[in-house]
Amino acid sequence: MSKVNTFAKHTACLLTFLCLSIFSSLAFTQEVLTWDDAVKNSRGQTVDWYMWGGSPAVNKYVNGFLASELKKQYGIILRQVPVKDIAEVVSKLVVEKQAGKESGGSVDLMWINGENFRTCRQKQLLYGPFADKLPNRQYVDTANPTVKNDFGTPVEDMESPWGSAQVVMIYDSARTPHPPRTIATLMDWIKNHPGRFTYPAPPNFTGSVFIRHIFYDTAGSVDKWQGNYTEKEFEQAANRTYSKLKELKSSLWRQGSTYPESPVRMNSLFADGEIDFSFSYQQSSASRNILDGLFPDTVRTFVFDQGTIANTHFVAIPANAKDKAAAMVVANFLLSPEAQLEKAKPEIWGDFPAISTTKLPGEWRQRFETLPRGVATLSDHVLQSHQLPEPQSKILVSLEKGWEKHVLKGR
Amino acid sequence: MGKTCPKRKIVGTISFSSGRGRTTSTLRLFFLLAPALIIISLLFGGGLVLGFFQALGYLPGKELDQIGLQHFAHVLQDPDFFNSLGISLYISITSTLIAAAVSVMLALALMRWAANNRAMHFILQIPLTAPHLVIGIAALFLLSPSGLFSRLFSQLGILTSSSHFPLLVNDRLSIGILSVYIWKEIPFITFMLLAVLKNMGSELDEVGATLNGSKPQRFMYITLPIIAPSLGGACLIVFAFTFGAFEVPYLLGRTYPMALPVWAYKNYSDIDLLARPEGIAIGMLLAGIIILTIVFSQLLLQLNRNRRFNL
Repeated sequence: MSKVNTFAKHTACLLTFLCLSIFSSLAFTQEVLTWDDAVKNSRGQTVDWYMWGGSPAVNKYVNGFLASELKKQYGIILRQVPVKDIAEVVSKLVVEKQAGKESGGSVDLMWINGENFRTCRQKQLLYGPFADKLPNRQYVDTANPTVKNDFGTPVEDMESPWGSAQVVMIYDSARTPHPPRTIATLMDWIKNHPGRFTYPAPPNFTGSVFIRHIFYDTAGSVDKWQGNYTEKEFEQAANRTYSKLKELKSSLWRQGSTYPESPVRMNSLFADGEIDFSFSYQQSSASRNILDGLFPDTVRTFVFDQGTIANTHFVAIPANAKDKAAAMVVANFLLSPEAQLEKAKPEIWGDFPAISTTKLPGEWRQRFETLPRGVATLSDHVLQSHQLPEPQSKILVSLEKGWEKHVLKGR
Repeated sequence: MGKTCPKRKIVGTISFSSGRGRTTSTLRLFFLLAPALIIISLLFGGGLVLGFFQALGYLPGKELDQIGLQHFAHVLQDPDFFNSLGISLYISITSTLIAAAVSVMLALALMRWAANNRAMHFILQIPLTAPHLVIGIAALFLLSPSGLFSRLFSQLGILTSSSHFPLLVNDRLSIGILSVYIWKEIPFITFMLLAVLKNMGSELDEVGATLNGSKPQRFMYITLPIIAPSLGGACLIVFAFTFGAFEVPYLLGRTYPMALPVWAYKNYSDIDLLARPEGIAIGMLLAGIIILTIVFSQLLLQLNRNRRFNL
């Protein structure tokens, strides 16, 4: 018995080694700069950073603080290239690769995650692995599943984290002093309070993430859905999720005959007292709504005991980028405590840090902890210790399609 | 009657008769309209052509062998297509008809009692300036179960509680959507009619009265035929707009079944990029239906005119 076991173990080891070496020989075909070389070569280079440009707060942070600090500290010129959807840039890179343009590309850095990152990896459009060369990576909790995998795609240092977002449940402590803390008790609460809960209809992003929480809870596992599952297992778990949601339908707002089309609408139903819960994929949005006078100041947030889904957004360098050295320096600077702190300030952007505050030296940790946060926002520690990774984007898409078919249309 | 109407003569060049006795050659007409036509055909035509290619599955950098009509076929085979088409037709036809009927009455009443009342005309112009999106959101605040009206009525004691307020948004009969469209389109059609009615003067009506025509008769045989072309044109515009507009059914419609434009948008913005050509295919079908409606109604008008000329 033990002989068989050792044999199996050896074979497994050998196989893993073989796979790894094949994979690495594929992935490591390009020479990646060392950090010292990157800094040396970066001076005077211009980084064209392609990113979604729809948020004035983000644009201001990038063109103001980041651009001037990079100029001052490293002599790098940061140029933001705002786009509507980074998918446009990805398809541009695909075309460039097909056309054989292997260097001198116009994109030096891009703000990316999820499906777009997966496409880039599949089509081998990225430079790297570079993230492990960055000194500021010491502050990143690399064991965190939301940093290791990006919607189920292994990151493997082909992109470097920049910030993150996490789902929080929103309630009014004056109306609901003891909100249900687990998904199972929330389901019971909904059934006992018909008409007082709803969620935005998927494929709305916020509604869709609610479905995934139910899916995780129904399936009874989280890590499995990062890639280590069979089609049959997924189907079974998904079908059980749909029947649970169908069962819930009659207890929802308006008996589930219609759903809010957006989280904004759900928030106004919540503020109007039509429903008792709201939720957001942005941990500080409830506090912001209190500041804006949309929510009463008795509103609070919580995360489920089993955790809530979080995702990290990253920056990546295209394989044909012209100024790779400077792009690496920028990616490193983005992870610096000073840049992350500035980004986390509510009046600047209020984005959740990509670095773990527990890994910071005492003085910096202090500064993060004393950062003014709204009354409804949970501490970084509570949030970071309750993070669940997003499943593979394939799962996300088929859950949305399945919800529409089974729950919405009742087929 | 027929004898007095001259048959149109087509000699040499084709002429368009605009008004009585004024004719313009095709060439001249073309030059006059060229600036507008070029912009329209470039922006709209270009958009349509690009959209059509994408609906066929064309994406930059993609192999060409996947191009074909499969996205159209897929959309047409979906049972939801006819659901959504039904809703869109119901919304646009109902709102156009109601708005048209109210506008005719309103225009006649205005002509009779307030032809030169500037304040009245100013008030009527207000809805024209407000975007549909704004009115849609306003309707949401006013008509929703926790909206202003519901609170007002329960405050005044007309309703025992705001939960007794009837469902007017995201409802089965699309009452919210219809009321926004009707409210928005009435002033539009009314102004189109007023322009004709003002030019018409009162002589014809007086002639009708001396011939002993009753009020309904004068309306049926004098006023209606005169305003019919503008009424028809205005209705067509309203129909085309309400059929293709997205924001109001998106805000005030039910999650399912949804109007065609909402379905198109949903597909277009799907995280799955493969759904995008389908969204555009729905958009193309929407455009096709509207173009067909316009061509068909013009044909009907032409037929009608020819019949009258040939009597």
